[in-house]
Amino acid sequence: MDAQIVPLTSLPMGASARLHAAELSREDCALLRALGLTDQCRLRICKTGEPCIVQVRTARIGLAASVAHKIFVLPEAEA
Amino acid sequence: MPAVSPRPSPAPPPAVPRPVSGALKVALLGNPNTDKTTLFHRLCGMMAKTANFPGTTAAARLGKCQVGGPSPLTLDVVDLPGIYRLDLDLPECRVCRGFLLGDGGAAPPDAVVVVVDATNLSRNLVLVGEVLALGLPTVVALNMVDLAQRRGFTVDTRRLAANLGCPVVSLVARRGDGVDELKETLRTLGDGAPAGPPSDLPLEDWADRVVADSLGGQHAVGTPVDTVTERLDQAFTHPVLGVLVFGGIMAGLFWILFVLAAVPMDLIEATFEHLGSWATAIVPEGAVRGLLVDGIIGGIAGTLVFLPQICLLFFLVSLLEDTGYLARAAFVMDRILCRFGLPGHAFVPLLSSHACALPGILSTRLIPDRNDRLTTILVAPLMSCSARLPVYVLLTSVLFAGKPLLAGLAFAGCYLLGATAAMATAFVTRRTLLKGPSRPMVLELPSYKMPSLRNALMTAGDQGLSFLRTAGTVIMAICVVMWWLSAYPRTEAPAEAVALRQQADALAASPESAEPLRQQADLLEARNAQAQSFAGRIGHAIQPVFAPLGYDWQLTVGVLTSFLAREVFVSTMSVLVGDGDDDVENEGVVAKIRSAQRDDGRPVLTTATAASLLVFFVLAMQCLPTLVLTRRESGSWRWAGLQLGVMTSLAYAGAFVTFQGLRLLGVA
Repeated sequence: MDAQIVPLTSLPMGASARLHAAELSREDCALLRALGLTDQCRLRICKTGEPCIVQVRTARIGLAASVAHKIFVLPEAEA
Repeated sequence: MPAVSPRPSPAPPPAVPRPVSGALKVALLGNPNTDKTTLFHRLCGMMAKTANFPGTTAAARLGKCQVGGPSPLTLDVVDLPGIYRLDLDLPECRVCRGFLLGDGGAAPPDAVVVVVDATNLSRNLVLVGEVLALGLPTVVALNMVDLAQRRGFTVDTRRLAANLGCPVVSLVARRGDGVDELKETLRTLGDGAPAGPPSDLPLEDWADRVVADSLGGQHAVGTPVDTVTERLDQAFTHPVLGVLVFGGIMAGLFWILFVLAAVPMDLIEATFEHLGSWATAIVPEGAVRGLLVDGIIGGIAGTLVFLPQICLLFFLVSLLEDTGYLARAAFVMDRILCRFGLPGHAFVPLLSSHACALPGILSTRLIPDRNDRLTTILVAPLMSCSARLPVYVLLTSVLFAGKPLLAGLAFAGCYLLGATAAMATAFVTRRTLLKGPSRPMVLELPSYKMPSLRNALMTAGDQGLSFLRTAGTVIMAICVVMWWLSAYPRTEAPAEAVALRQQADALAASPESAEPLRQQADLLEARNAQAQSFAGRIGHAIQPVFAPLGYDWQLTVGVLTSFLAREVFVSTMSVLVGDGDDDVENEGVVAKIRSAQRDDGRPVLTTATAASLLVFFVLAMQCLPTLVLTRRESGSWRWAGLQLGVMTSLAYAGAFVTFQGLRLLGVA
């Protein structure tokens, strides 16, 4: 795995990243995708901890920490 | 490590020809939080009913909408469950798929209105793409355009319609803007199949391209940081502050439910009491009067009395849901409830069940996952409802006469025992009968909004009518049957009562002395009638089953008759062993029931039997309406039977252990 790829839970509030992959079941991955968390989509961390809240496009998605821990992202440099 | 890459979309089924009929069958589909149901209410008003899809717990609202003009048209509108995608392997998605494809022999809809959130167009268009691929005549209802404009998005609807290949109507459903245009578009909609998105492009990419081309130069990827929303989310989902806020809101909801609902409930009871008295006065004594007063009027009252709590709960929950807060609250409670196999969404139903299990079970419709919902329905009646209060008051007063502190602690203990049993049952159920992983807590957090009063009123009315149409009729029918079992066969008045009446008649000159004698005669007749009724005979016959719990035939009859509703236990006991007064706050009534004797002269209620009864009533189902509603909401008598079996077994085992344990400890 790319050394830069990190779990979503390791990012601080306000950080941006691109979605890389998820170590979740096929059904859970499908649910994330349906909510807009598609491959390489850009997301912003709105809240860390339980729940982890991310903004994808204009939608805010709440993720249980156990789910967020299994989502891997590529952090983006601050604009 | 699997990527979250899109799976290839399923091959589209052949286009469905539009049937020719007098009315247009219209399916209303959309993502959750798109105000789809608000649009449904705008279209259909109160001409709607809620129904479960056959064999499922997924509900849909069905309504009619008249479109006027030169060629009037009726729209049969079906409000389908909110879903993100059709191809997800989730019960509500299967239901929507089946409906759109006309599974099970039903005709597919003549048109589909896909409600999309203009502030979140890209994701919403994925569902539109799936529907277009089915080849059904489609209209896109672009809702919340006012919010989108405030956020700087201006959607070019003509361009969007050209890109999608179907009509697009701009809407603000909350204000009713654009609803007439939508009706007109449906009237003129042809039955040709839309082209659909290209099959070689993932739907997400197609949606992004359509959005980029339709937003007047502005791309809807990312918005400025909304600091108010961020701060509110931080507070509402905070481990400590979030719980405090949630506790405060739920306490307020609970208080309103108890206090405000009591007013119409008392009014309903008083109205039907007067109606019963009036019927008693004008109908001659006999079977017809008994059926009318105790069976039909009593049955209608017993059904209608639940209505204020049901309507009020749905009104309040709808307001809360509209604000966007409930999605945050679900995360707060998920931390606690997930340990017992329940989702955070289960908290509102469980809390509501403290007022009454009926609105509690109805509100499980908020829970998206079928297994989570069934588990919550199964355990909700274990929470101590208000109908248990008279029984708790009576038995704790008997157990701890003159010791209000201990009586209060026992009272609180009853609530704790019920909640503990509910959590333990949920824990076991999710590991046995309803095995399988819970749906992970992943939720879209809707924008914070001012709640819509109109929407809340419509939802409350809709749910209340739905309760009356389905569960209400069954509850009333069973009330009549239970009345018949308690009232028949008719028996002769006992000799003692006849003698008392003769004495009273002889005291015609002194009515104040005659009245107590007549009251005593009435009581003796009621007691004899109860003992000789079918319910009384059944009580005698099955008393040996309840003997290990310490119950004589009188307590057994009390337990049996209270199957109709728990509070009936107090009135039954007051007739059997008291003086007919069922006011449990009356010290004299409690004293009389406490000192009542069995046929062999031993007290009916000892410390051990009272404690055993208390445990029994905390854990037992003893509520026929709940059973009927469980059947309706679960879609099967199997779950209702299981609920009855589990709760009765728990109650019997708990009461047995309590009675026998206290006896072993030397407590009489």
